[in-house]
Amino acid sequence: MRLLRQLSRRKLRTTLTILGITIGIWALVVFSSMANKINSLVAGGSEYFAGKILVSDASNLALGIGLAPMKIDVADQIRDLDGVAAAAAEVQMIFDPTANAFGGAQTIVGTVAGSDNGHETFEIRAAQGRLPTAADEGSMVIALGSDMARQQSAGIGDTIEVRGERFEVVGILEPTLTTPDTSVFVPLSAAQLLFHKILPAPVQDAIPADQLISQVVVYPDPGTDPAALAALIKERVKNVKTLTGAEFDKQIGSATAIFNAIIIGVAVISLVVGGLSVINTMAMSVAERTREIGIKRAIGGSRRRIIRELVTEAAVIGFIGGIIGLVLGAIVVVFANEAGRSSGTILFDLTPGTAIFAVAFSTILGMVAGVIPAWSAARLDPVEALRYE
Amino acid sequence: MEAATALLEGRNLRKTYRLSRRNQVKALRGVQIRIEPGEMVALMGPSGSGKSTLMHILGLLHSPDEGDGPPAELSIAGVDVTSMSEGTRTRMRADTMGFVFQSYNLVPTLTAAENVALAGEYAGTGRREAMSAASEALGWVGLEERAGHRPMELSGGEQQRVAIARSLVNKPKLLLADEPTGNLDSGHSQEVLALLRRFNTERGQTLLLVTHDAEVGAFCDRIIHMRDGLIQDGAASS
Repeated sequence: MRLLRQLSRRKLRTTLTILGITIGIWALVVFSSMANKINSLVAGGSEYFAGKILVSDASNLALGIGLAPMKIDVADQIRDLDGVAAAAAEVQMIFDPTANAFGGAQTIVGTVAGSDNGHETFEIRAAQGRLPTAADEGSMVIALGSDMARQQSAGIGDTIEVRGERFEVVGILEPTLTTPDTSVFVPLSAAQLLFHKILPAPVQDAIPADQLISQVVVYPDPGTDPAALAALIKERVKNVKTLTGAEFDKQIGSATAIFNAIIIGVAVISLVVGGLSVINTMAMSVAERTREIGIKRAIGGSRRRIIRELVTEAAVIGFIGGIIGLVLGAIVVVFANEAGRSSGTILFDLTPGTAIFAVAFSTILGMVAGVIPAWSAARLDPVEALRYE
Repeated sequence: MEAATALLEGRNLRKTYRLSRRNQVKALRGVQIRIEPGEMVALMGPSGSGKSTLMHILGLLHSPDEGDGPPAELSIAGVDVTSMSEGTRTRMRADTMGFVFQSYNLVPTLTAAENVALAGEYAGTGRREAMSAASEALGWVGLEERAGHRPMELSGGEQQRVAIARSLVNKPKLLLADEPTGNLDSGHSQEVLALLRRFNTERGQTLLLVTHDAEVGAFCDRIIHMRDGLIQDGAASS
């Protein structure tokens, strides 16, 4: 109470300093939430690709997803190779080519359920209903990722239109905080139909719909080195490219690290500016209160006590700025996510860890920034300070 | 028979302020001073005579100079404080002394009670106990009703009474007052002096008052005159 009164004595300056910290923490919260989301997407991808090999057409340009057409017999060729436990033929394609892909592309995934022969370790569970089964081949059923279900406002038993075809919703998936949330899962036959429709006529003529896939997910036998098996696939199967889990981590990891460094760097610069403003405020405050500090020293206030009082004051400035920055950052995150939900673009993930870190960081920043002015205040000669007007 | 211990005894107290490499002021030139427990003493002298410097040294706000003569000695309540560390001197200031200044020197953002309690807190009392002691001390100076007021809401006389309450809240052995009536009109001056005399008479509180004012000097048991950094011989009592 006493401390807040002390701060309210210099309302404008305290407010401006808190504002400086607030902006820094706001930036830290928003950018860190964005980094959290991207990191969770990358972590999900890393977990998905761990121990397996993605085989796509050599012309495929996308990372971690096969979007170029290829023939299903590629999967048969791969299955015949030594060290292959299972090879699941899949069709993956963009759900809505007009949608913004930032924050995770929305995809249609078509595969024959069980074609992984039980080797898939990345578990996708239905929160409601079920995933498509092998028995659904030939029918138009669909399971929606959690974000997709919200975007489509669809429930079990509803019918939705995907790429001009009508599908019955049979399942809604549990949130995974990664790619499956923005994916829909259909039988391979249904995905082949959708994929075939969008291909240029010469490709349509060359590959019938039931022979069409866009990628093969290869599960190596236990003890088989994925890198060695990937090399073998490229050697034996013509016109394909491979991506192992390690390659995915290397490629996406370095890109993510750069992205994280940039956004955290921006936030840290904002905070440094905020910290300097706390130093300035506290230095001005000490200068203004020279006489008061002299009084306190004269009546028995120790140097340590004076430092503690001023550092606590600076910490409170940091804490208040941190809380306000966190609240404003959380508002931006919630509104941006809500606004993006309709298009399936969830950009931010504000975790409790980020929130606690932001407030703790701003409080510590305030304390650190307050130390130098507090130290110089405590060194004042009480007699000189008492003469100060 | 052994002499009773003085409350305050200083010998060979010297202080030189170096204003620049070539310019220095010898504020004290070897002062000898002794104040007995329960005395009310006025320290008088013209401006520049060294009385404030002496009070700062006796109040442990500054240290006497060493060298250039016999060693300085200073003891308070029988404790040698000459070579105490800064931290110990601060602690002793909080526990053993009270200060009253000409311009009251209250913390403007704190209420009267909080200003008084601050001295208690600095002496190691918990905040709640310090506030309770502050209320009691404000009662001694007749300001219990003004406990929640800030300095700017009080008259000069009231502010000085708050400062006196602050100086007494820890029941110090020695109260040092630097021109305590310097900013007050005669009515309030008499009020403050009467208050100080009451604490001296009723509680045996030892007081050292620095003043220009002969009326204040006349109010005290003894006057110590200073001139040119020295106590004037033959002018130690009235």
